[in-house]
Amino acid sequence: MSAAGGQGRPFLRVFLAPEVTYSRSTGENDQVSRSQQRGLRRVRDLCRVLQLPSTFEDTAVAYYQQAYRHSGIRAARLQKKEVLVGCCVLITCRQHNWPLTMGTVCALLYADLDVFSGTYMQIVKLLGLDVPSLCLADLVKTYCSSFRLFQASPSVPAKYVEDKEKMLSRTLQLVELADETWLVTGRHPLPVITAATFLAWQSLQPSHRLTCSLARFCKLANVDLPYPASSRLQELLSVLLRMAERLAWLQVLKLDKRSVVKHIGDLLQHRHTLVRKAFRDGTAEMEAGEKELRGRCQGPEQGKEEVASSSLDLPEGKRPASPTPLLPPCMLKPPKRICPPPPVSTVTGDENISDSEIEQYLRTPQEIKDFEKAQAARQAARSVSNPP
Amino acid sequence: MTPTVCSGLDRVEAEAQGRDLRGPCPAPSRPDPQLGPASPFAPAGLINGPCATRAQSGSAAAQLAWALPPSRLSALLTVGPPPMEEEQTYLELYLDQCAAQDDLAPPGSPLLSPIVPDDGYIPNTSNSETVFNSHLQEVKGASGHFSSVDLSFLPDELTQESKDQSVIRSKQDIEENCKTQSQQSRLSLPREQDMGLGLINDSTLSKSHSQAYPGDADSVQPSPEKPNSTPLMSITPMTPVTPVSECSGIVPQLQNIVSTVNLACKLDLKKIALHAKNAEYNPKRFAAVIMRIREPRTTALIFSSGKMVCTGAKSEEQSRLAARKYARVVQKLGFPARFLDFKIQNMVGSCDVRFPIRLEGLVLTHQQFSSYEPELFPGLIYRMVKPRIVLLIFVSGKVVLTGAKERSEIYEAFENIYPILKGFKKA
Repeated sequence: MSAAGGQGRPFLRVFLAPEVTYSRSTGENDQVSRSQQRGLRRVRDLCRVLQLPSTFEDTAVAYYQQAYRHSGIRAARLQKKEVLVGCCVLITCRQHNWPLTMGTVCALLYADLDVFSGTYMQIVKLLGLDVPSLCLADLVKTYCSSFRLFQASPSVPAKYVEDKEKMLSRTLQLVELADETWLVTGRHPLPVITAATFLAWQSLQPSHRLTCSLARFCKLANVDLPYPASSRLQELLSVLLRMAERLAWLQVLKLDKRSVVKHIGDLLQHRHTLVRKAFRDGTAEMEAGEKELRGRCQGPEQGKEEVASSSLDLPEGKRPASPTPLLPPCMLKPPKRICPPPPVSTVTGDENISDSEIEQYLRTPQEIKDFEKAQAARQAARSVSNPP
Repeated sequence: MTPTVCSGLDRVEAEAQGRDLRGPCPAPSRPDPQLGPASPFAPAGLINGPCATRAQSGSAAAQLAWALPPSRLSALLTVGPPPMEEEQTYLELYLDQCAAQDDLAPPGSPLLSPIVPDDGYIPNTSNSETVFNSHLQEVKGASGHFSSVDLSFLPDELTQESKDQSVIRSKQDIEENCKTQSQQSRLSLPREQDMGLGLINDSTLSKSHSQAYPGDADSVQPSPEKPNSTPLMSITPMTPVTPVSECSGIVPQLQNIVSTVNLACKLDLKKIALHAKNAEYNPKRFAAVIMRIREPRTTALIFSSGKMVCTGAKSEEQSRLAARKYARVVQKLGFPARFLDFKIQNMVGSCDVRFPIRLEGLVLTHQQFSSYEPELFPGLIYRMVKPRIVLLIFVSGKVVLTGAKERSEIYEAFENIYPILKGFKKA
């Protein structure tokens, strides 16, 4: 075998070990730099750790090689190259609808999400790739399956054990409900699924499980509790409460956020009708509102469906409180501060600038002396407190 | 160097106004509106290049497209109210400029490749009618001033409906722009339907058009074998069409202007930090003096090379005035500061469309321009090609537009995105 190009050690190894590995003899790595080789090895290792199909490995390796052809990547810091390994694997998974979250990849790489995000956006743009969004349904299945609740164990009492299929299907329905009611758009997907899993689990045996909190549930199931999950839980519960108000046999019960859990099964069974009724949205109403506006000038569209509904004949005038509009929670909160429209500016850019206006920004000689004295004193104090 | 009679201050002022004391009067700092975006009509959705493989995206997009409600055409030709008073001067200028462009003679045949689709997104840039007349088969995206165009080849229903709908409009100046857009979009719509995107499936308009076409196949210039194909536009299936003629009536507010100017003299930053009250200088952290003034409320980064960056102003004029004030401060500190090459580098605007937006749907249908990663950022990043503006679109309907060098680019970008967003209004 001819000596490996440019590197002394493999040549030595030839003498010390009679076997020659295939990759060394073909010289396929001769043209590849060591850092790139390391990166490619890491890509394969990551794919194996994640137990991805073998085709994924080849695709991810190809992406890494493609990225390395760009000088900006070749010259990047090692930290970025390490993170690039995760980016290539993530893109491959996304393209095959394999639900892998960025959080998981960062945890496996011990990488900072900020660095990961920058590298990810850069590489997608650089390679001109079209990366599909994270598939929510698959993520639900994978994530729910990781909850350790399907078998009794010392930490999981018998009453807390649940059937996997039942939990999966109910969680999926709850996540779909959250998606429909604007709780998913613009938010990190995982906390929504955590909250939905918790509610699904609770509702399957509420009598024994209502006392268990979300944090305890995650601890039992051996799953990290993401920070936004509690607020997602509250939002999902308020959606369910509003739906419960439209269900005849639940209206009388005057449910609250705890008692509504018992009836989640019923609510999910009729969720399509209930969402339509509870939020008085529905395409019909929006279209009716639009038809009215068509003939005249259209002002800035009112997101609040109350405007459209007020112009329609309400067949359910006897319903209790006026229905809340179906909007993302950020639109339902009152605005933090009302921004008045900026006053009309008559600045031309060529106005005269008076001397006095400029002088207000300058220090007088006396002030300069005082400032210098204060600076010197501070320096002296510093050098005293930090003796060399 | 000939000694000038005027003092240094006058010189700065003269430079600030763009006057060279020794030369002729140069152009004013605000670019001439007539020479605005003069590039020929090109759609916002110009596809940059071949996208990498995406195994299941096509089917997913198609599935979603069928699921979308047929909402577009119901609001086909409504017109927005007049713009808010405070922005009226600028908006009028912008619209006048576009109306003027409508009347301009075309520079030649449109610089479009046959692949380029006509989205009908661009409300205002357009070429003249001669293009329409002479390039019926090749016109892929040019709109024209339709009053003088020979429309006899079009089926009667089409021209009749265009006349009917023009009555509905109320505002004169927006009318003209909307008319060109709507006819464009109407012509392109049936084509989109034929492509099977299925986004619009219950409009009488497109039905009448597709019915009319087989009968009029002879009068149409290209081959009659395909009775449903329009000779005017060829559109790739990637960009869905939306009715453009609905002007939004919302004007984005400018929030920040970044500009640079060259003071053209070496500066002693330590001296500036010592003598100026409103300056901070920490060489270990950053190699420039950070100076602030109260009116207009702005911040400047002043470098020892004499270059300066001014940020925080809400309009171009305010940015210029602020930069001049900083230059005056530096001058008063004893440096021979001038005011050369003032240039607006970036403008940021924001507005609110007042309805929630399904970002997941938007990223599916506009994947070439959109990037939506909820794990990283709650908003959708839309990189518009023409004009070259980046928009941050949030679920609440708030839109941030950035990357503009001119105010008109912000307005144009918003007018382009508004019909797209309206399509994603409902659940």
